[in-house]
Amino acid sequence: MNLYKNLKHLLLMLFLMQAYALKAQTVSLDLSGKWKFQTDVMDFRRGSLSPRYNHVLQEEIQLPGITDDKQIGYKVPYQYIDRLTRKYEYMGPAWYQRDIEIPAAWKGKKIFMYFERTHWLSSIYVDTKEVSSIDYISVPHNHDLTAFVKPGKTHRITVCIDNRFQYKTHKWNHAHTEFTQINWNGILGEMKLMAIDPVYVEDLQVYPNIEDKSIKVRLQVNNETKKQFKGKVSFTITGANYKLKNEVAVVSTDTVSFVEANILLGKNAQLWDEFNPNVYQINVQLNTSDGKENYQHEKAATFGLREVKQGKNHVLLNNRPIHLRGNVENAVFPKTGYAPVDDASWERIMLLMKDYGMNHLRFHSWCPPKAAFRMADKHGIYFEVEMPMWGKDAEPDEDRYNFFRREIKAILKEYGNHPSFVLYCNGNEITGNFDFIEELTAEGIKLDPRHLFSGSTARTRVKSDQYYVSQQTNKGPVKVYEGLPNTDWDRSTESDVDVPVISHESGQRCIYPNFEEIKKYANSPVEARNFEVFRDMLQKNGMLDQANDFFRASGALTVLEYKAVIEALLRSSKSAGFQLLSINDFPGQGYAPVGILDPFWDSKGLVTPEKFREFCAPTVALLRYEKSSYFNTEIFRGKAEVYNFSNAAIKNAKLKWWLTDANGKVLQRGNLKSQSIANDKVSPVGEFSIALKNVAVSQKLTVHLSVNDQIKNSWDIWVYPSHQNLMQSTPEVLYTSVYDDVAKKQLAQGKSVVLYPSPTDVKGCKSIFHNHFWNPIMFAWAPMTIGNLVHNDRPMFKDFPTSYHTDWQWWDILNNAKVIEMQDTPPQLRPFIQVIDSYDNNQKLGIGFEAKVNGGKLLVLAVDTKTDLDKRPATQQLLYSIDHYVKSDKFSPQVQVEETFIQSFLTK
Amino acid sequence: MLGKIALGVTMLASQTLWAQEIVFNQKASLEQVYKKAVEADGLLSMNDLNVEFGYVLYQSEIVTQSESEELELENVRDYAAVYVDGKLQGRMTDNNKKIAIKTNPGKYLLQIYVENIGRITYGPEITDNSKGLFGEVTLDGNEIENWKMVPLNIRKYPINELVFEDRSEAETPGFYKGTFELGTVKNNYLDISGWGMGEVWINGKYVGSYWEEEKQRSILIPSEYLVQGESEIVIFELKNNQQKTMKLSQTPVFK
Repeated sequence: MNLYKNLKHLLLMLFLMQAYALKAQTVSLDLSGKWKFQTDVMDFRRGSLSPRYNHVLQEEIQLPGITDDKQIGYKVPYQYIDRLTRKYEYMGPAWYQRDIEIPAAWKGKKIFMYFERTHWLSSIYVDTKEVSSIDYISVPHNHDLTAFVKPGKTHRITVCIDNRFQYKTHKWNHAHTEFTQINWNGILGEMKLMAIDPVYVEDLQVYPNIEDKSIKVRLQVNNETKKQFKGKVSFTITGANYKLKNEVAVVSTDTVSFVEANILLGKNAQLWDEFNPNVYQINVQLNTSDGKENYQHEKAATFGLREVKQGKNHVLLNNRPIHLRGNVENAVFPKTGYAPVDDASWERIMLLMKDYGMNHLRFHSWCPPKAAFRMADKHGIYFEVEMPMWGKDAEPDEDRYNFFRREIKAILKEYGNHPSFVLYCNGNEITGNFDFIEELTAEGIKLDPRHLFSGSTARTRVKSDQYYVSQQTNKGPVKVYEGLPNTDWDRSTESDVDVPVISHESGQRCIYPNFEEIKKYANSPVEARNFEVFRDMLQKNGMLDQANDFFRASGALTVLEYKAVIEALLRSSKSAGFQLLSINDFPGQGYAPVGILDPFWDSKGLVTPEKFREFCAPTVALLRYEKSSYFNTEIFRGKAEVYNFSNAAIKNAKLKWWLTDANGKVLQRGNLKSQSIANDKVSPVGEFSIALKNVAVSQKLTVHLSVNDQIKNSWDIWVYPSHQNLMQSTPEVLYTSVYDDVAKKQLAQGKSVVLYPSPTDVKGCKSIFHNHFWNPIMFAWAPMTIGNLVHNDRPMFKDFPTSYHTDWQWWDILNNAKVIEMQDTPPQLRPFIQVIDSYDNNQKLGIGFEAKVNGGKLLVLAVDTKTDLDKRPATQQLLYSIDHYVKSDKFSPQVQVEETFIQSFLTK
Repeated sequence: MLGKIALGVTMLASQTLWAQEIVFNQKASLEQVYKKAVEADGLLSMNDLNVEFGYVLYQSEIVTQSESEELELENVRDYAAVYVDGKLQGRMTDNNKKIAIKTNPGKYLLQIYVENIGRITYGPEITDNSKGLFGEVTLDGNEIENWKMVPLNIRKYPINELVFEDRSEAETPGFYKGTFELGTVKNNYLDISGWGMGEVWINGKYVGSYWEEEKQRSILIPSEYLVQGESEIVIFELKNNQQKTMKLSQTPVFK
């Protein structure tokens, strides 16, 4: 099959083509536009005698589209708290109708009605008779109408779309959940009537072999002529600067025959991966004749030359380990209420992945449409796709099992050629009969060697697992939901099992809702009415002016948590990767604003892509260190590593570190030994230490690390002088841990009191550094708070360097504190360390505040100031800063509170 | 004829090597890893006992009136092994919260060992994250009160400080010790088939956990945990299935 030979064939083909030109090939009629329409909330039309009368439906609707576009259904008066509110709910059969003239020229052809995506049972009535029903969720519906329509005649085609649950599958499955994309009723994408010659290519699968740069093409040819056919299959393979033609002869009398051809693509053919997403197009033209009639059919597919294998700890792509930096995609598309089917929308998402240094998307309990695969092929994103399967979906139910048995095959057939389709998993966190899960997984492996297969995320392992996405293995936890103020740890040991392990649903740190997003829903089928409830509650509680501050402060905390989470998983050299939940908000399950992007995939302005790529990219500089807060008598010790899963080793890498102050001034600098840094692994590259003895004033410093001046990353540390004899009372300022008569007297004399009760003596919940996991509505357990707003412009922070948000220096302060409930204080009173409450509660909370009480000046700090204080430089410094403040003339609380309030939060 | 015999011998030899049997003939009592007990009238969940993950022993005295009485737990998160006077009565999970207690009428010590290794279902089924035992425990409908709850320090206990004795026939949970020899050091899988639920250390290093309900029946032992010659293995077993041995395998084992 050399090129010269192929050229000869080409010449021959050109001659043949003229003969065939007389015979039309695939012809299609676009079905988009106006359709007659009728709702059927009673679900009776199908069971009634109405179809027999072939009524004309009275309403009209535009297709492609969904019923929500026309505001059909129940006008929802509620403000759902746990999700966005769908404006018009519709679940039931809906009828769509059009009179269609089947062209007379289609005589003798196969006639199909094709819907790219629908939800989820589609049935076709030709005139008065139901002729076809399909209930795939993940793939197009292609109805064979050949036997039921007559070319030259006008038929009344009535389509019933039924978006009710056809099987007892979990209602949270993202393929059809109200929590993200809504459970819509309609038809999306391409919709057409097609005429195809009766000898046609039913299926085209391309199996690449990277060793000899060849492909095995496997065709299923259907022959509905009941006669022998003879002819040729011509293959045209095109790519960038690439064209190859090839052909094979075919002859068969069978109704279904398979044609296999091995085609060498030649030395110039390029492999596909995330760095070089070389996509090829294969066009197959089948030209046959039954001796009397000539037939022609074409089918095309895109593919990439790439191979996926199971490595020891990583997925191997083209025999090289890849590391998956991924996002969990949950069908979050509130703009339309359905996952887009167009290239532009998906291209935007793939480019966002690249912008934020990611190379992977896990489609959680759903499989996206073709456009997603096309754009991932084009931009080099690795997909994990799933069936609509979750929770108890594997419990015995033969109907449901059969649905899944069909669905997995359909997914592999429809999308299997796409190089971006790297991983398949049945579904999410499945429980039930794992013999069934094993059956599906083993079947998948047998059917399609182009992907790796896994039984379930985060649940029981099965024998056929080729990789495993989980929070834990039998060696311990591999989840990373939050960071730590130290970085000398990873999840390697726990990830080292018999298959590659991907860390499941990393992150999930809740941000206070941004009420500015409410207006973005004006033209959507859903609205953020929950935000209105939260906003009104915040207003009622006198803090609406702080909404944006709460959003910014908790958002900043999430960003630094995600940096820590991602870096921990990049340090885990035996981890196959991670799936962040998620880069964008999840608008259901209680509403989880955990994203740095909003539900529309628009940036919330919390972090730039450039900054994000410092810690999430193919090559990342990493640093292991013991802690974030130091005394200036200590030494900072860093162990540098380079995570390199790029397309090449880094030869003679120059490694620099330097220390800057808050103004960017370089205080110290140094080099690590220049060296070559291997690809496909995490390499230790050297250690350095920085004596902090010259840091006289407490301050935030930044440690930077760079590789060849291009790859840069940095970490903030805080350096403090140590303090003795803190919290000393003077005649003017009384320090006390109890609110007793002495304290009251001091206040009554117009003097100052600093009350620092032991946290055990303070009512209210325990303070913790992290913002709430996922969201406080679904998981109503501790802490029920989402970070802290620091009023850093106030004078008590003059000697305590801090931003408006909490950062790692706050670790020992916040983890040794109690949260005081302050809603009953005057609205003007704002605690200087203000805890952000759950947005469905919105109470005023604080750890530290100041007020006028009984004519005196009171400052309260509900922080443990005793335990191991000699090891807590930041707490010491905060106490020092407060001490300076309360002993200065700046200490002048403005808001008056009653003594009863002080007593209300103390246990004694 | 001769050739066949030789072949048979070779196969036998390689098979022995391939599935080395590890005999656990030593046992360390669980009392060594008891942490400070908490006493209360009613049950306290692990959350209330400040136990994030791991094991807690719940114990109380019971008086039985008949030869078989039904023990019912209101909540089991995630797994419990029930003993009466040191005799295993069975296992309980949240899907199986009733068990028959078979004794001659009399006074007995009820011990329920409960496991929670952090199997939090971050999913729709559970929006309540309580772990351990909570709610009521009844015996033939009568509530059992006066509980002593003992957190067990399994994962963080310095394993080499455990005191082992020759193993007796006792059915109680505990630590078991054995040794095995390796000619060449490479990755191995520990086949835990037959054992109930527990944790494994090799040469003093933690290697993983197992549970009989899972299809996965083996734990990878990375070569860096192994030595040429004799290696020591310690098992903590919660539900004593009276197993004496485990095997090494070159491939993962699934049921």
